[in-house]
Amino acid sequence: MRLSTEFIAGVLAGGILGWMFDRYLGTKPWGLIVLLMLGFATGVYNVMRVSGSLPKAPTKDRDR
Amino acid sequence: MAVKMDPIHQFELKPLVSFGHIGNQEIAFTQSALYMFAAVGIIALITVVATARRSVVPGRMQSMAELFYEFIGSTLRQSAGHGSERFMPLIFSLFMFVLVLNMLGMIPYAFAVTSHIIVTFALALLVIGTVIVYGFMAHGTKFLKVFVPSGVPGWLMPMIVAIEIVSFISRPISLAVRLFANVLAGHIALKIFAGFVPALLAAGAWGAISPLPLALSVAVTALEFLVAGLQAYVFATLASIYLSDALHPGH
Repeated sequence: MRLSTEFIAGVLAGGILGWMFDRYLGTKPWGLIVLLMLGFATGVYNVMRVSGSLPKAPTKDRDR
Repeated sequence: MAVKMDPIHQFELKPLVSFGHIGNQEIAFTQSALYMFAAVGIIALITVVATARRSVVPGRMQSMAELFYEFIGSTLRQSAGHGSERFMPLIFSLFMFVLVLNMLGMIPYAFAVTSHIIVTFALALLVIGTVIVYGFMAHGTKFLKVFVPSGVPGWLMPMIVAIEIVSFISRPISLAVRLFANVLAGHIALKIFAGFVPALLAAGAWGAISPLPLALSVAVTALEFLVAGLQAYVFATLASIYLSDALHPGH
């Protein structure tokens, strides 16, 4: 459930952004196409981050 | 005899007191608002009233309030780290509000407020709004380092920054959709499984297998109690992870 919502949210965010770009900048249909693909990439990125397959950044150790 | 089954009916908003219309939209005090007020009342009862005596050896209610407080406090410290104490009131209120609303929704015939995406999205926007406002207040333009992860080769940077920006915008959506979808799906599943029991009983000989969906709906009820608590915890944890970005940008 956690992973699927992360993915869906990425695609949704890209789609909404692209739709708004098209609507207010009149770039139909390129904004939606590009940002939907970017949203797909974001969804995959989100899932990778949540499932821990991305390497941790070296400065991740914070003062606790 | 056909048994009427409408699993969506339970999520209908019923206006209790109407304040008139703005355009075509009715502005009313609905049962949803009533449940939210009830939740705030219950939380006040648990926290304010129970700790009023402040005894050194806590009573039953006081130790429950302390348990919740310690639990959320340690979660926040673990995920947001140093300096996160200032967000304790926000995270604690969010957790208690979502938890009590989820639990109220599990009472038979009660209304599950968190099954409406507009409620959960408003809570998620509150969290993200806090992250953005506090991030810019505390770090100025350095807060934008949130979008630039360290250790990425230069030629990949534009792509990663674009993805990080879309990822940031997807956070309130994922926060809202997760809570709402869990509660909505759980309540619909419960209603449908429970609805099988009278439907089978009404179908003559098929009534012999009606204990199966009955047992299943008991199991799903237990599962839904788990989900109600777990989703409140997940909401609070994710909110504090996002707040840790506002406290320590440039990860």
